Amino acid sequence: MAKDIEKTVTQAAPANALEAPFPTKRMLLNLGPSHPAMHGTVRAVVELDGENIRSMKLDIGFLHRGFEKSCENVTWTQVFPYTDRLNYVSSIMNNVGYALAVEKLCKLEIPERAQYLRVITSELHRICDHLTLVGAMGLELGAMTILIYTMEGRDLVWDRLTEICGARLTSNYARIGGVARDMPDGWREKVEKTLDQVAELREEVGKLLNRNRIVIDRLQGTGAISREEAIDFGYTGPCLRATGEPYDVRKASPYLVYDRLDFDVPVGSRGDNFDRYLIRMEELKQSDRIVRQCFEQMQPGEIVVEDYRYVLPPKPEVYGTIEGAMAHFKMVMEGIKVPPGEAYSYTEAANGELGFYLVSDGGGRPYKIGVRAPGWNMLMGLPRMLQGKLLADLIPTFDTINMIGGEVEQ
Amino acid sequence: MSKAAIQRLKERFPEAVTETYEGVGGDDVAVVRKESIRDVCRFLKEDPALRFDMAPYITAADYLGSEPRFDVVYQLYSTVHNHRIRLRVGVPADDAVVPTVATVWKGADWYERYCWDMYGIRFDGHPDPRRLYMYEEFEGHPLRKDYSLRGRQPLMPERHVDESFRGPGPAGRD
Amino acid sequence: MAEETKPTAPAAAAPKPAPPPGPPPPRNPGFVTFTIDGREAVVKPGTNLVEAARSVGIDIPFYCYHKRLSIAANCRMCLVEMSNAPGGKLMPACQMTAAEGVAVRTDTPRVKDQQRATLEFLLLNHPVDCPICDQSGECKLQDYYMQFDHLRSRLEMPKVEMRKRVVLGPLVVLDEERCILCTRCVRFMREIAGNPQLGVERRGNHSYISTFHGQELDDPYSGNVVDLCPVGALTSTDFRFRGRVWFLSSARSVCTDCARGCNVFLDYMRETTFRYRPRENDAVNQDWICDQGRLSYKRFNEGRVLKARLGRGSSRAVPRAEAVAEAARVLRARAAEGKLALLLSPAASLEDLLAAAAVGRDALKVTEAYVGGRPDGRQDAFLKRADENPDRRGLELVASAFGFPLRPFAELARAVEAGTVQAVWAVGAEVPEAAAAAAVARVPDLVVQATNAGDLAAAATVLLPASPAPESDGTFVNFEGRAQRFEMAYWPRGDSRPHWALAGELGRALGLVARWPTARSVHEDLGRRVADRLGDFRWDSLPAVDRRKGLVPPAAGTVDGRLPGHRERVPLDGSGNVIWDRLSQP
Repeated sequence: MAKDIEKTVTQAAPANALEAPFPTKRMLLNLGPSHPAMHGTVRAVVELDGENIRSMKLDIGFLHRGFEKSCENVTWTQVFPYTDRLNYVSSIMNNVGYALAVEKLCKLEIPERAQYLRVITSELHRICDHLTLVGAMGLELGAMTILIYTMEGRDLVWDRLTEICGARLTSNYARIGGVARDMPDGWREKVEKTLDQVAELREEVGKLLNRNRIVIDRLQGTGAISREEAIDFGYTGPCLRATGEPYDVRKASPYLVYDRLDFDVPVGSRGDNFDRYLIRMEELKQSDRIVRQCFEQMQPGEIVVEDYRYVLPPKPEVYGTIEGAMAHFKMVMEGIKVPPGEAYSYTEAANGELGFYLVSDGGGRPYKIGVRAPGWNMLMGLPRMLQGKLLADLIPTFDTINMIGGEVEQ
Repeated sequence: MSKAAIQRLKERFPEAVTETYEGVGGDDVAVVRKESIRDVCRFLKEDPALRFDMAPYITAADYLGSEPRFDVVYQLYSTVHNHRIRLRVGVPADDAVVPTVATVWKGADWYERYCWDMYGIRFDGHPDPRRLYMYEEFEGHPLRKDYSLRGRQPLMPERHVDESFRGPGPAGRD
Repeated sequence: MAEETKPTAPAAAAPKPAPPPGPPPPRNPGFVTFTIDGREAVVKPGTNLVEAARSVGIDIPFYCYHKRLSIAANCRMCLVEMSNAPGGKLMPACQMTAAEGVAVRTDTPRVKDQQRATLEFLLLNHPVDCPICDQSGECKLQDYYMQFDHLRSRLEMPKVEMRKRVVLGPLVVLDEERCILCTRCVRFMREIAGNPQLGVERRGNHSYISTFHGQELDDPYSGNVVDLCPVGALTSTDFRFRGRVWFLSSARSVCTDCARGCNVFLDYMRETTFRYRPRENDAVNQDWICDQGRLSYKRFNEGRVLKARLGRGSSRAVPRAEAVAEAARVLRARAAEGKLALLLSPAASLEDLLAAAAVGRDALKVTEAYVGGRPDGRQDAFLKRADENPDRRGLELVASAFGFPLRPFAELARAVEAGTVQAVWAVGAEVPEAAAAAAVARVPDLVVQATNAGDLAAAATVLLPASPAPESDGTFVNFEGRAQRFEMAYWPRGDSRPHWALAGELGRALGLVARWPTARSVHEDLGRRVADRLGDFRWDSLPAVDRRKGLVPPAAGTVDGRLPGHRERVPLDGSGNVIWDRLSQP
């Protein structure tokens, strides 16, 4: 076979060498689980015809940690650190989503200040998530400066979150019945200053990327999906809004205090990578707006429900009164007694609709927790989005769908 | 609004829908027979008054000790009318086969693979009935209630994967 | 005198009014029909409301009520609204009996507030002892607080201080601060134990429980007050501070200390048995066990024979298979000479004895059996029997089923001394007399299956380690002929195996083909021979462990499939069967 090629090449006149048929064969490329572009260990086996992707098969499960099974063996409150590790770039949104699901089952109304605090911290984590996405996308397109800028922005926000939750990444902030801690003194001013700094960085990044020839060539028109197909696959969040479907849980079925806040939901039209990127840049602005409004509207008050069946009593009472000791004891050892039933509760996480399906048997431990991860559906639709496209399109598409391994693979 | 959806569903499939109730927090739930789930889902998707065009979440639950043992739960959402509905399908342990709805919504594909992987519920007509999270040689279905927490899996010999291509270069030896 | 007129009858006396109509006849003749929370209850006349409510699935909280004790109605926790209450008062449900057509409500705001207020009062002077109190995890105050009160304390002054560690008797310690003066202990000692050693001293706010001056609480049933006490006031010196109850799992077992076979819960963690708690059985022990039986679990933990040994006086452990092979060799040789004796212990379970008898007769051609067992002890008028072996009737049944005449232990000693018996296979190393045991211990070949170290085990030439009751399923037949199942709590410790498994291994080494993988298979295979004498006993009278409802995630490594950290209170009905529907309630 090699000899034939030689003969063909030497026989053809040099003028036609470029037009001579070039023998190719289909190649299977393994974008293995350990790959910087495969966010969170996903294995993609790509069948290539030259540089075109003929088909793609995804192999997931390398990050499966048994979240659902683990949660069945701990008390309802002990599930919070597990939820942190689902979408680890915006962990408060996981906490809040789970807490809302349990409160739905328990029929608890949490105090207003707790609701505002949840919204503020969720939006701050949404900013972190979008900054991470833009940074990773820039890095993988070769614009490494973007990563540095967005990581700086993210770090500034994390400093603020450390002050309120105690941790940068795995926050464990929400509790059933409210939030864990109130905001420290002076936090509001610091957050607003941080938001200003993030806004500056955001503007810089926008200037660098939005009209960049390379970025537009690589992102515009690539990884496109139609609105009907996106809905069929179950896309939600920025990826769905990029196709033109204006579905945002915060507007469609408002929860917490989102119905009192004034913010816009950016909607794209072409469903391609560029729209997804632009939507996220715009959502950074909107989250900024939301946080500032919350600070305006927030009133002093309680941060947890005053009910010792769900919330640990304050420590002086635990050590000083028998009621406090008993309540603390029963809740820690046996867990909160959530009334039997099932509930599905959904919130708008950074990536889309994050749903928790809980089944309770009346005991102190969950009977079943099911997580509806927003990134799951986009990952499912990835082979469809990339069919017939170039291999180079896979990278930005994988970036902009923001599949976080932790939530997809639980 | 979902109440109207449940009503319409009950009128259309009186024998397939065995029970409807309003759950905690106002969720409307219909319990459907497993043989008719595909027709019910197709109706729910295509009927213009209902238009449940998205299936955001499909999962299963293991109620070991009750009959039927498993419950496959479908959460459906309509982007057109902004309403939701939940369907529950009882699946007995000895006949754990349910008609697939992956032909109705493409997004149901992986959820059904997950149900097979984690619970051992087969979906009749599914285009790609493999395990999702676990490797193929895994024994058992982890989220079942009788799956031991402290058991061990047998060690597998390394699988020969000849579908990866090693091109010319230092890593390959061609 | 003025004219006296005869007093005339009052003018126009109205005719006597008709008597008021009597109550309508009961809806169900012979029963009382009434409603609780809208649910209809039909109960026998004289049933109090707590029991009636329980029969329709409603739990009314109470502290001082106990269905086997007299009514005190002093805790006021069970107050409910009744439609026939005088003056609209809330009535104690434990004291009131149901009347025809009454409407009882336990869920109105008034009742709820009453329950909350009662708890608040009870907790006013209750010490903050949860971290050090044994009753944590099984304390009614904790449970009812979370259900009915769950509000913060309103006390702003120091609590009353009383004596914290009053040793009432050898088994019971009183903490006066925790006591809520329900007087269950006083009533129990007076009515059930028949020995009124406890009383309430002083009056009003200064009351406390006490023994009489100069006396202590030494009744042989004193341990039951620890189970009765709804709070941590009375604690057992044996169990005090030994373990937290939520780490313990419970197996349903039978006490092995006398022939009555009181039903117990055997609380264990991993491989150690921590305590016995009585299990309700109306026919055998109601809700009580004696102190001696309560402490008899210790022999499962201490002094165990866990490794096989070869050679009299040797201390070298050998693998059990090697010991079994040697035992088979010895027994086969001696059986061929006709000099083998089979010694059965009435402390072994029915399945143990069936397997041993089967192997004895089929492989070793044994024709009679000698009876060992623990020596007789005390007998009293309540529960304790003199015969301290749980399965003597079972042994008799097995012997008659296999056609073995039973010979007393003293005869075995004489036979060994005379030389007509040169080898003894002892299934169970309990011996009734020390002198005779010393004589038997001199026999040339002594194959002993022993659970605990003792004289016979020390003298064994082949010592096979055996497992006692918590490590196997099985049946004991008590002195009345009642067969009772007990279930396995944890896998046999060390190298030990239950007697029936050891007999099976010996049988296989001797050439038999019978295989008994579980005690159930022994019962099904061999139990047929005695089944007609066991009445309506069924092996499945305790539902099998592997069919337990999976509300608690199973885990490998513990037989009952439970993780530590979750204490399951098994709701049982009168015959010891699990009530599956109530398994999820606390």
